[in-house]
Amino acid sequence: MSVANVRVLVVEDDPHLAAGVSENLRAEGYEVASAADGEQALAWLGANSCGLIVLDVMLPGIDGFGVCRTLRTQGNNTPVLFLTARGDPADRVRGLESGGDDYLAKPFHLQEFLLRVRAILRRWEWYRSASSTAATAVLRFGGNEVDFRAFRARAWNGEAQELTEKEAMILKVLAEHAGEIVSREDLLERVWGYDVFPSTRTVDNFILRLRKRFEKDPAAPRHFLTVWGVGYRFLSEGEP
Amino acid sequence: MKTPRVFQLTALAMVVVSAVQVGWWLLDQHSQTADKVLEMRHAYAAQQAAAQALLEAGTAPARVQQLLPDMRVSDGRAALDPQREQALLTEARHRDRQYAWEGGFFLFALGLCIAVIARALRAEARVLEEQDNFLALVSHQFKTPLASLQLSLETLALRAPAPQAARTLIDRMLADLARMELMVTQILESARLERGRVEFKAEPLELRGCVARVVAQLEERARQEQVTISSAIEPGLYVASDPLALDLVVRNILENAVTAVQSAGGGRIELTAHAASGEVELSVKDSGVGFPPADGARLFERFTRLHPTGGHYGTGLGLFIVRRLMELARGRVRASSDGVGKGANFVLTWPAAAREPQP
Repeated sequence: MSVANVRVLVVEDDPHLAAGVSENLRAEGYEVASAADGEQALAWLGANSCGLIVLDVMLPGIDGFGVCRTLRTQGNNTPVLFLTARGDPADRVRGLESGGDDYLAKPFHLQEFLLRVRAILRRWEWYRSASSTAATAVLRFGGNEVDFRAFRARAWNGEAQELTEKEAMILKVLAEHAGEIVSREDLLERVWGYDVFPSTRTVDNFILRLRKRFEKDPAAPRHFLTVWGVGYRFLSEGEP
Repeated sequence: MKTPRVFQLTALAMVVVSAVQVGWWLLDQHSQTADKVLEMRHAYAAQQAAAQALLEAGTAPARVQQLLPDMRVSDGRAALDPQREQALLTEARHRDRQYAWEGGFFLFALGLCIAVIARALRAEARVLEEQDNFLALVSHQFKTPLASLQLSLETLALRAPAPQAARTLIDRMLADLARMELMVTQILESARLERGRVEFKAEPLELRGCVARVVAQLEERARQEQVTISSAIEPGLYVASDPLALDLVVRNILENAVTAVQSAGGGRIELTAHAASGEVELSVKDSGVGFPPADGARLFERFTRLHPTGGHYGTGLGLFIVRRLMELARGRVRASSDGVGKGANFVLTWPAAAREPQP
C-alpha cells in the first residue's frame, strides 16, 4: 500500500486547524476527507472507509473518545490518532483505552504529526500484509483459532473472542517469531510505535490478557512463555 | 494541603468535639438529677413505710411526726409532706433548667462556629474549583489558536509554498493572532468585572444615537454576509449607563446576532426599543441559527459556546461580559429562542434616565 491511495479522515472543529492539517496531509500525498464534528464523522464513516482517522478530542456534541468507542463497538478497526488540547497523562490513557492508536497534544510539531501518521500507517500496513494470505490470516495453536483479518478468535473451550487491535498485533508479532524470544521493547516498537506508553508494563498486561483468552491454565502458560528479564516466547505447539 | 486549610480543619474538628462533649455533659447532668430524685423518692418511701409501721404499732401520731419530720399523719395514715414533695420537684426542675440554658447556649455557640467554619471551607473549595476550571478552560481556549499558528508557521518553513498559498497561511495566522488578542482583552476585562474593579459612570445616554453608531460600524460586514439590519428606535429614549459599557454591550449583542444570521446563510436583524415603567428595553431579534430554548441562561456564563462550528470564533466571554456590564448598570439582559434554526431574541433592559440633552 503506497501513501498515494491512503485516505485520511480529519475530524476537527476549528476551521483553521482542520485546513492546516488537511493541506499538509494532501501535500504528503494522502487523500483527505474532513468532518467538523463527531456526528458528521460517524455518518461519513458509515458510508466510506479510510486508512486513518485524525480525531480531535474536544468536539461539539459527541467528543473524540466517544466517536472512537462507537467505532470500535461497531467493529470498525480503522486506526485513530487523537489530537487534543489536554495533554495530561490521565487524558492520554483515556484516549488509548477508548481504542486510539496514538495521541498528540496541541500545539504539536508538524513534522512530528506527519511522522506519527506515517508510523501508524506503516504498522497497519505491516499487519495487513502479514495477514493477507490464507496461511497467515489464521493462526491455530493449542485448539485456539485466531482470525487476524476479522479480529475474532475461537478459544480452545469453544468460546468466541473479540480481539482488540493491539491484542491482534501482539499476537501477530509473536506468531511471526514463533519459538524465538521477543523483547518487550520490540513489542512496544512494533505495536505502539515509540513513546506512547511510559512503560513496558503495558506489554505485560496485554500478555496476561492473551493468556486469559487462550491458555487452558493462564497461571501455567504453555504458549505465551515469559523469558525472565528479556521478554516473551510464543510456542504454537505448546511447551512439552 | 495548605497550612491555613489544616488549621481550619483542625479548628473545625476541635469545635465539633467540644459540641459533642457539651451534649454529653448535658445528658449526664440530666440523668444525674433524675437519679437523685429517684434516690430521694426511695428514701421518702422508706420513711413513709417506717412511719406507717410505727402508727400500726400504736405510736402516737405526734411522736411519729417528731421522729420522721418529713411525714404528715392524718386519719392514721402516713404520707410525705406535700411541701417536701414540691421542694424536691422544684429543685430537680431548677437544675434541669439551669443545665438546659447553659448547655443550650454553649451548643448554640459551638454550632454557630461549626456553621461559620464549614461555610468558609466550602466557599474556599468552590473558589479553588472555579479557578481550576477557569484555568483549564482558558488554557484550552488558547491552545487551539496556538496550535493553528504553529501549524501555519511550520508549514511555511517546511514547504516554502507559492506566494498565493503563503498569503492564505499568513492571513490565517493573522486571524489566529487577532483571536488570541481578543481573548486576552476579554479575559482581563471579565476578571476586572468579576472583582468589581471597574469604574462605572451612570449618565443619561440617548439610546437611538448609541445604537445607530454601532450599527453603522457593523453595516459593511452585515452587507457582505447578506444580513439586513433594521432599526426602529424612537428618539428621546434615555438610559442611565456608562457610555463605553453601553457601546460594548450593544456591539457584543449585535455582533453575535450578525454571526448567528450569517451562520444561517443570511437573513435579518430587527432592533426595537420602548420605555416601560421606569425602564428602557432594547430588543435585538434575529433570524439566525438560534439555540436550544433551555440554554437561554447558560449563554451568559463564562466559556459557554453554543456554536463552535462553522468558522465562528467565539471566545465564550462576550455574553458573560455583557451580563456583568448590565448588572453594573443596574439593568438586565435575557435571551430567548424557539429552538435551533429558529432565530433568537436578546432583550437589554436599562433603568430610564431623565430626559436631558447630551453634552
